Parts: sequence; C-alpha cells; structure tokens
Amino acid sequence: MAANNVADNIGKEQILEIAKSEIELKVDLFNRLTNVCFDKCIEKRYKESELNMGENNCIDRCVAKYWQVTNLIGQLLGPSQPSM
Amino acid sequence: MDKSMLGDLGSLPEEDQMRMSAMIDQIQIRDSLRMYNSLVEKCFTDCVDSFKRKSLDKQEETCIKRCAEKFLKHSMRVGMRFAELNQGAPTPD
Repeated sequence: MAANNVADNIGKEQILEIAKSEIELKVDLFNRLTNVCFDKCIEKRYKESELNMGENNCIDRCVAKYWQVTNLIGQLLGPSQPSM
Repeated sequence: MDKSMLGDLGSLPEEDQMRMSAMIDQIQIRDSLRMYNSLVEKCFTDCVDSFKRKSLDKQEETCIKRCAEKFLKHSMRVGMRFAELNQGAPTPD
C-alpha cells in the first residue's frame, strides 16, 4: 500500500514539474510574441499613446500568424513537442 | 498576462489547484519584474538619443510616457488574442 502511494506521489510531482515547464514555455512564447508584434506593428515615433485601428488589426493578425508559426514548427520538430 | 491565458485549472483536485495557482503567481511576479526592465530599455532606446544634458527634456519625457502606455495597451490586446487562441476559439481573419 505504502509503495503504491510513493509511486503515485512521484508521478504527481513529475506531472506538476511538466506542467510548470509548459506554463513557462507559454509565458516565454507570450513575451516573445508581444515584443515581435510590437516591433512589427507599432511605429516608433509614438505620436500618441492610443492604439489606432490599423495597429489594432495588425496586432490581431500578427498574434494569429505567430501562433500558426508556433504550431507549424512544433509539427515539423516532431510529434513529441508540446502542441499549442 | 493573466491566468485565463494558461488554460483550465478547474478540473484538477483542489490541493493541486492551489499548488499550480501559487506557482503561476510566482511566475507572474517574476514576469512583471522582467517586463518592467524590458519596457524601460525599449522606451529609452526609442526615445532618448542625445546626451547634451543630464536630465530628460519635455519631448523625451512625452515620448517615454507614450511609449510605455502604448506598449501596455498593446500587451493587453495581445493577451486577449493569446487567450482566445489558447482556448482554441476561431478568430476572424
């Protein structure tokens, strides 16, 4: 009985570690995505502090495409990669 | 970035939910600090080009404020879209 519990606990710890890695992967993805799309969509002159409609559309599309690229590369790297 | 972007924790047993939640909090704090530094660097790089004086002039200060506000708004919008895609919601083209 005790041995089963230990095995269960190790399994759970591993699962939580894997979950933590996946979360950190998503956080890293989000940060990179935010920076890349900012550079691609926002003019550096900063004429105003609001986002205009063009920038909003650009951001939406940039995020969608970045996401697609992430999935595409995930597929290319092999089925063992975590998929988004 | 907020927790809703990371998926559904509700299906886990409560003890695990709490552990995951605490872990996510820690990651978020670290991420906020990182964001602070990277925002400073970004806005400095984009807004400050001359070093004739030690203090920022009005123009530079305005630029920095706009840069920071713009980035934060941008970041919020990205977060919204990210959360949608993460949940598998179809989005308009």
